[in-house]
Amino acid sequence: MWGKGLITGMKVTWGHWFGKKETVYYPEEKLPMTERFRGGHLAFDEEKCIGCKLCAIGCPNAALDLTVSVDENKKRHMESYVHQIGRCMYCDLCIEACPTKAISWDKNYEFASYFKEDMTYDALVEARNRRGNNE
Amino acid sequence: MAQTEKYVLNMGPQHPSTHGVLQVQVELDGENIVGAKPVMGYLHRGIEKLMESRTYVQCVPFTDRLDYVSAMNNNLGFCMAVEKLAGIEVPERAEYIRVICAELNRIASHHVFIGSLTNDLGSATGMIYAFRDREKILDLFNIICGARMTAHYIRIGGVAADAQDEFLRDTQKFIDYVPEMLDEYNKLFSGNEIFQARMKKTSIITKEMALKFGMSGPNIRASGVDYDIRKIDKYGAYGKFDFDVPLGKRGDNWDRYMIRMKEIAESAKIIQQALDNMPEGPYMAKVPKVLRPPKGDAYHRVENTRGELGFYIVSDGSTKPYRVHIRRPSFVNLQALDTMCKGMLLADAVTAFATIDPLMGEVDC
Ligand code: SF4
Ligand code: SF4
Repeated sequence: MWGKGLITGMKVTWGHWFGKKETVYYPEEKLPMTERFRGGHLAFDEEKCIGCKLCAIGCPNAALDLTVSVDENKKRHMESYVHQIGRCMYCDLCIEACPTKAISWDKNYEFASYFKEDMTYDALVEARNRRGNNE
Repeated sequence: MAQTEKYVLNMGPQHPSTHGVLQVQVELDGENIVGAKPVMGYLHRGIEKLMESRTYVQCVPFTDRLDYVSAMNNNLGFCMAVEKLAGIEVPERAEYIRVICAELNRIASHHVFIGSLTNDLGSATGMIYAFRDREKILDLFNIICGARMTAHYIRIGGVAADAQDEFLRDTQKFIDYVPEMLDEYNKLFSGNEIFQARMKKTSIITKEMALKFGMSGPNIRASGVDYDIRKIDKYGAYGKFDFDVPLGKRGDNWDRYMIRMKEIAESAKIIQQALDNMPEGPYMAKVPKVLRPPKGDAYHRVENTRGELGFYIVSDGSTKPYRVHIRRPSFVNLQALDTMCKGMLLADAVTAFATIDPLMGEVDC
């Protein structure tokens, strides 16, 4: 009978009327990010970093711009750790390259911005601010 | 009778029914299509060239951006080509995880096909259903690699990280859900009379034409040509699994749709076998930190969701490839568009675009 398929289809749709909702009320409700989630800013750990620049060398798109200074004891210090989100493709290669696990994703996905300038930030400054707030 | 004049209508690159940034110049005589010429290049990023200035490891994330709805398959193709070039043996567990991910991605990609096809035919409901289920797979990818689409999970020598129990458990859950899912799709649109009327016996590609155009993937199988690289080459762990290659008869839009529905079931079958026989062991081979494949070249092809995806890599013995060429199935398949549209009505052109399933990231590369 012509139209039988249409009615069967309608039944499926109606069946979902009372079913469980698949979506959440963002932003009131947020989904948790997974453990391996790649996204957001880089959370930088100044204590762990040895200034080897392996992360920047490993980056395929030159999204990391590091300035390292060497003091009189030949110890390397990170002066600035600039991450250009506009160039970053979240491939994780920088994090995997780091021998001391000094960087990780902060998993904050709400960083859309109106201005291009906001897409470049200094992870070192952010880390210091975060620490300042905690103390 | 009134004299009519042929005229050209531009569909795309921002037309809602062309997939991605595809522009098609449709030549019309009234409402009948006389010719359809795809115009591409809107998404060209020069990935082949970019790869020449990056190390082999750094090249892998770029392959995500070729066919961005089945990134895992692209990763797989490139990594296997490099492994062939450098003579790297991949551990068995990694091979199994690769198969699971590649097949999950095939299902997710077919979801996009079903979703966009039904949407183009005027049923937005259909799209929501397919995308709801695709989301389940993307969540699985989020667990295993932390990204939903641009996976960058399959790496040279294995996979980036081991598959967790959580991932394997949830994959099993999804596989158990597949029959119910397909049943729902069949009820919702396969049985729908309007859907059938628009799909059956439209835009036919015969066996001979499909071969002549060098088509591959579900599009050529819908025309009845038994051509599946998973069966022919048995690359990776595919030789160990038992699955069928569904074939079509007429090569019309309906066959191209049904083939993909059947392929979802076959992919689920493969994943089930991989889950049941998952070996223990390492997930990554010993790959030198600085990879310098010997001088020479290698070609490796895999069955991507859209057809035969091949990577031809030439090495000059340095850390970067001398030249990479990518054989992209969507690009080749798109040749058939003109033949598919000729003699059809304008409204059917949209169906033809949808069932040929081109992905512009791959067409333009
Ligand atoms: S995620 Fe990739 S692209 Fe982004 S900064 Fe790290 S290495 Fe570079
Ligand atoms: S690789 Fe790690 S330790 Fe080295 S500079 Fe980068 S963040 Fe610091």
